[in-house]
Amino acid sequence: MKYNERPTALQESAAVETNAAFSKQMQQFKDTCGVIHDLESNLTTIGNEAFKAALLSPGRAIQTDDGTEWRHGLDLSKITSICHRRTEAGLEFAIVECLPLPSGETKEVLNSGHNVRDVLRDFIRDQKQVLNLWKDDVKAQVKEHLDQNYPRQDMSIVVESFEIKMSRAISERPSVAQTQSRGIRV
Amino acid sequence: MPEQNQQPPPSTVTPAERLAYSIQEAADLLGIHYYTMYRLIQRQKIKTCRVLRGKLLVPRVELVKLLQTDLR
Repeated sequence: MKYNERPTALQESAAVETNAAFSKQMQQFKDTCGVIHDLESNLTTIGNEAFKAALLSPGRAIQTDDGTEWRHGLDLSKITSICHRRTEAGLEFAIVECLPLPSGETKEVLNSGHNVRDVLRDFIRDQKQVLNLWKDDVKAQVKEHLDQNYPRQDMSIVVESFEIKMSRAISERPSVAQTQSRGIRV
Repeated sequence: MPEQNQQPPPSTVTPAERLAYSIQEAADLLGIHYYTMYRLIQRQKIKTCRVLRGKLLVPRVELVKLLQTDLR
């Protein structure tokens, strides 16, 4: 299929059906991208708040799995928070993830450093890598779905429309993300 | 509409005996959000394999390992 070719009727209907099949996952993907974008947009504010929290309040103690003790500062999500501790080199900040698993709760330092904004930037960069991993897996699931439901049909245009939509969700803020690609609405 | 939408024959393998699970299934088994599953994979806390078309699967042995140990 040539890049600028219009989708056929079968491809259009396959896109509609596949969109419905993956709507929940796509919505969760977009929502998660939105959370990361919000964090990125408010990085300075969040960094300042974390710094203030470290100066003004001791915060509750959190011992991470590596044995270090941190003080809770701000929650970033249900399972991640910005923590701090005082060291000889000054205040140190960390993104700590508390993950409840059936085997017990883990408390892991994801990123740490003395500059809270750099710590947040590293965290955002890592989250974008996770989003790309998720995107590649959804793309593979879409391919599998189409191969099973539309055997021997070229549905690359549908797969591509999903990929474009997810790539845009990762790289652009929702307000500027486009809602169409190559004539197929995702 | 799909050209072919036949149901696969009933499997004789129970879910507990399966060798690998999709990300969604693995997340459900662990009781965590599947974004968290991708995070664990990205940090290489859990190993996956890729099957045809690149879909990620979590080997059952990895889930068992995760349940028996912690993530340190």
